[in-house]
Amino acid sequence: MSRRLTLPIEGMSCASCVANVETALKGLAGVQEVRVNLATEQATVAYDPTRVTLQDLRKAVEEIGYGLRTATTYLRVTGMSCASCVENVRRALAELPGVVDVSVNLSTETARVDHLLGAVSVRELLTAVREVAYGAEEKLEGGAALDREQEARRREIHRQRRNLLVATPLALLVMLGTFQPYGVLSRLVPEFLHNKLLLFALTTPLVVGPGAQFFVHSFRGLRRGTTDMNLLYATGIGAAYLIAVVNTFWPASGFGGPQATFYEAAALLTWFILLGRYLEAVTRGRTSEAIRRLMRLQPRRARVLRDGQEVEVSVGEVVVGDVLVVRPGEQVPVDGLVVEGYSAVDQSMITGESIPVEKRPGDEVLGGTLNKTGSFTYRATRVGKETVLAQIIRLVEEAQTSKAPIQRLADLVAGRFIFWVHVLALATFLFWYFVGYDLWFSPQTRLMLTPYTLSDASAVGFAVLVSVAVLVISCPCAVGLATPAAMMAGTGKAAEYGILFKGADAVEAASKVQVVIFDKTGTLTKGSPSVTDVVAQGLSEGEVLRWAALAEKRSEHPLGEAIVRAAQERGLSPEDPEEFEALPGRGVAAWRSSRQVLLGNRTLMAEQGISLDGLAPGAEELEAQGKTAMFVVVDGHAVGVVAVADTLRETALVAVRELQAMGIRVAMLSGDNRRTAQAIAKQLGMDTVLAEVLPGDKAAEIQRLQAQGYRVAMVGDGINDAPALAQADVGIAMGAGTDVAKETGHVVLVKDDLLDVVAAIQVARATMGLVKQNLFWAFAYNTAAIPLAFGILYPFVHQIVSPELAAVLMATSSLSVTLNTQRMRGYVPPVRRRYRAAEVPGRPGTAAPVPSGS
Amino acid sequence: MPKASTLAAVLYLGLSSLAALAFVGLATLKGEAWSARLIGGVWVFLLTAIILMPVVIPWVRKHAEGR
Repeated sequence: MSRRLTLPIEGMSCASCVANVETALKGLAGVQEVRVNLATEQATVAYDPTRVTLQDLRKAVEEIGYGLRTATTYLRVTGMSCASCVENVRRALAELPGVVDVSVNLSTETARVDHLLGAVSVRELLTAVREVAYGAEEKLEGGAALDREQEARRREIHRQRRNLLVATPLALLVMLGTFQPYGVLSRLVPEFLHNKLLLFALTTPLVVGPGAQFFVHSFRGLRRGTTDMNLLYATGIGAAYLIAVVNTFWPASGFGGPQATFYEAAALLTWFILLGRYLEAVTRGRTSEAIRRLMRLQPRRARVLRDGQEVEVSVGEVVVGDVLVVRPGEQVPVDGLVVEGYSAVDQSMITGESIPVEKRPGDEVLGGTLNKTGSFTYRATRVGKETVLAQIIRLVEEAQTSKAPIQRLADLVAGRFIFWVHVLALATFLFWYFVGYDLWFSPQTRLMLTPYTLSDASAVGFAVLVSVAVLVISCPCAVGLATPAAMMAGTGKAAEYGILFKGADAVEAASKVQVVIFDKTGTLTKGSPSVTDVVAQGLSEGEVLRWAALAEKRSEHPLGEAIVRAAQERGLSPEDPEEFEALPGRGVAAWRSSRQVLLGNRTLMAEQGISLDGLAPGAEELEAQGKTAMFVVVDGHAVGVVAVADTLRETALVAVRELQAMGIRVAMLSGDNRRTAQAIAKQLGMDTVLAEVLPGDKAAEIQRLQAQGYRVAMVGDGINDAPALAQADVGIAMGAGTDVAKETGHVVLVKDDLLDVVAAIQVARATMGLVKQNLFWAFAYNTAAIPLAFGILYPFVHQIVSPELAAVLMATSSLSVTLNTQRMRGYVPPVRRRYRAAEVPGRPGTAAPVPSGS
Repeated sequence: MPKASTLAAVLYLGLSSLAALAFVGLATLKGEAWSARLIGGVWVFLLTAIILMPVVIPWVRKHAEGR
């Protein structure tokens, strides 16, 4: 078997790159031929798809430092109703040549397809999905997507409601007619309704009308070799209906006799499934409410200044550089910088901040936020997909489309379920026909919760009834819904608080975190330090500060900026260095007029062999106060100490206490010396401090903790701490502000609020709790119900599960999962219930200066 | 050479028919009435076909692609 594929390779620049790629690909077992073309940047590969996958090819290329150019296409897939459908769609798309990865989400009705650039068209993707009997269209973005999605949902709800409206009176009449001879119904219901021909006439349009969708869908799927739960419905309804028809026209054929026609089974089974479909159509829309609410924030119109005139245009026509006018009560159309005017803007919908933020010229405003008081004009800086709102929507959508490890397992189980259910149904039939009936059948046999006795049931009739109950009761729809519905609800809820999970795996990982490590500068502290003390030795304090400022003038470190600012504030004008060198984790070195200045910590001094005799006690005292002391050395002589302190964030202490109360170990990672770092840790009540860690070693420190068996979350700056965030089980990038999509990390916090770290873990735990509860309801139900349907209790109670009871149990399972998930709608993270944003009692962090320099 | 889908259909329908025939044979030995044998045979045929279709169709398609 052989497949030929052209891979667009990224990063090749020379002939040796060609050789590298060729060697890497040829090294894979199953690859038959490789031709790499540098000019077109493509590799043509002939391979055996049964031995090597496109994922393997991609991995081989990426392992040697190149990449495959891929694109992502989002499809909206309709008609999926269970985990088997998800698996069918996934397999149909994954089988297309050039498709690298596929993720299908039942709750969002979305398929995300990562494919080689140009290798597969959208039309091919749509055709593949349609061929396995599901509806598909390309997923749109923004307002158009919202319109299309709402329209599609309206249509689906309308269709299911119409089916239900047709089915309800018919099913009711069939039920009343069937049970007419029993109890009070014999007095209330006219006798003619019990006529079997009338019941046949009432049930037939119900089965071939609203119930026809199950048969049509199953047949289309079977033709392509795929099965889903529609097949279970179809065989269940079809078998009940056929038994009823046989009992009506050939009452002596042994299916329970003329009294057991089972029309009500076919009718009620259809009605229950239709009711379930209708409720699902209504509630499924609700679970993606978070995305819709975000999408609804996207303004549709904008007032743009063109030639001095205000012109109202569609927001899609706004380009970067346009000047826009916003009046009180209006939404800000796109992102930009205020040019003129003053106002307060409610940004709660994006950042979660409860208090409106003041905006003056030069301040940034975000599209989708609400202007409260004044008018202002502003210049557009980001439009369309680049706006913060669009980035947030994309992140949330991606998270909701992705799959958590627990979900993959559930899908795998559910995907194979239909097959095994039919095997079980066949085994059930054969067992009861050849063995069970002769051993245990009693003329007092009853169908559970029905008045029927099956005294006349033959072996074949009895065995078919039991196997139909197994088919209906085993439907895995609840298993398919359990995880994605909870994930959607959880990630959506998190987004409301400005907490963006980048995938379902991030939610799962965050829920299991045992250690949270905070970076110090810019994370626990505000990252805007100031000079607090200058100690001089042999020079004046001004001279020491001037030399220190000279050394730091070209530095971009917040600490260096604080020193330069302090020098300028004291009227000193530090000169520019002729040469400058940053020494990561230790300090800086600079040269001017053949003189060398060093500014840094003890490590640097020790490396350079500088004696600190006169300065060391003073520096230690400053460090004991939690300040960062840096030694100033001019031409090899230590001339002073400059101490810098940062301010703790308002919420730092509360956040640490909350995490500890949740049983999480909290640690701090800092480049500062141990004494300083411990002083801050003491203020915050932390028990673990990882001090004197060079920037490049942060990831290694995390790895060390992971090697001890801890699941570690790292909270830091998304850019500077990128390697550490990537190494952690959960990287939490804080204060992403306006660049959420570019942040490294598995979780992105829009605000600079440390309580959001606590809230993120709480939301993740609540979501995973919901997932586990849902899976319990789904699996426990199946585990308990299948043996019941199989007739395990029959030898003792002589009752079997009726098909309609099986349908009720099946629908109950799905509904319990859906309703359980709805609980997330009212969820508020406990930390947010206790402390609303900007309402931290005592603001414990504000009073104490703390050092910077991590 | 027959098309993959036809070949698959022949395979799963053939195997399902064999299973149904086997059932009818065993039911006859058990002394069941003709209606029971017929209904049981149809039910076994249906379930076996449903079980085999998603297994046989991809298997045949995979092997047809490999040729």
